[in-house]
Amino acid sequence: MQALTPNNAVKLDAKISPAAPAQSGASVQWAVVNDMQIATAFASAEVEQARKKVLGVTDVSCFPRYGFKGPQAAQWAADHELAIPSSPNSWTLSDQKSLVLRLGGSEFVLEDQMGGVACEKLSSISARVAGVYKVPRADAAFILSGSAVLNLFAELCSLDLRPSALLANDVIMTQVAGISAIVIRQTHNGEPVYRIWCDGTYGAYMWETLIEIAVELGGGAVGLASYQH
Amino acid sequence: MKLLTCPMNGSRPLSEFIFGGEYRDAPDQKTCSDSEWAAYVHNRSGAPGDKKEWWYHSPSGTWFIAERNTLSDKVSRTYLLSANTNPTQEQAK
Repeated sequence: MQALTPNNAVKLDAKISPAAPAQSGASVQWAVVNDMQIATAFASAEVEQARKKVLGVTDVSCFPRYGFKGPQAAQWAADHELAIPSSPNSWTLSDQKSLVLRLGGSEFVLEDQMGGVACEKLSSISARVAGVYKVPRADAAFILSGSAVLNLFAELCSLDLRPSALLANDVIMTQVAGISAIVIRQTHNGEPVYRIWCDGTYGAYMWETLIEIAVELGGGAVGLASYQH
Repeated sequence: MKLLTCPMNGSRPLSEFIFGGEYRDAPDQKTCSDSEWAAYVHNRSGAPGDKKEWWYHSPSGTWFIAERNTLSDKVSRTYLLSANTNPTQEQAK
């Protein structure tokens, strides 16, 4: 994964975050990360830290993702030294820096966190194997942090996502704000956060919806830069 | 809120599911008569009772069978098709 490199000039060949159409504003700072233009800051660092403690919403659509499925998918992952969750609908960390989600029994999604290289490694494999199929991913992805995050979910999702119901390594495929999404609970730099993935075409809608509720609850948008370290 | 149990994801609100029609065994198109095939294509049983139905959990893309009484709307059980039928029926679908 590339380092965060500020670049105010829009790179013409870079992708744009699926949530970007809803993130316009003079105070927004942009950078190109992993060939995707993404918002790195929405306000001063102090303001964003305060938002993060209450309810921070961060667009992390630029994290590299790699999907694969099929009857031999689990074996294929093991052959390439990827740690995979043993049970369906759960997740684990591979090499501490790559999130591996198991969706149902035979489909997997990898997402490199800051510093992860597993997606790059797997996408460089060109040999095709019977019973393993690549699944192109075009997700919008978000991190939700803060003490009021469950109040936000209470408005958007009909499932109980409290830690007592959503276990540490559970993967939930449900509807959030009326659209299909994947939800997990994760610890990021020691703080508990929730992650949401949805189809990229809903990225702007999801961002608007999350931000509207976050602002009502005393939080708001947080740039990717606050998760860089 | 009405709930339905997805065999892969557990109990979920009905709004996450899409109805896929009654599960019916197709006659063998190589040996059946025209009238049998026409009946299979065009006719449906609207009489209330215990039915096997296709349901789809849209957030996870799971197709499964629900056994439901269409008069009382009580679902007696749900399962993945592959776990309860022989392989030829699954391939036919």
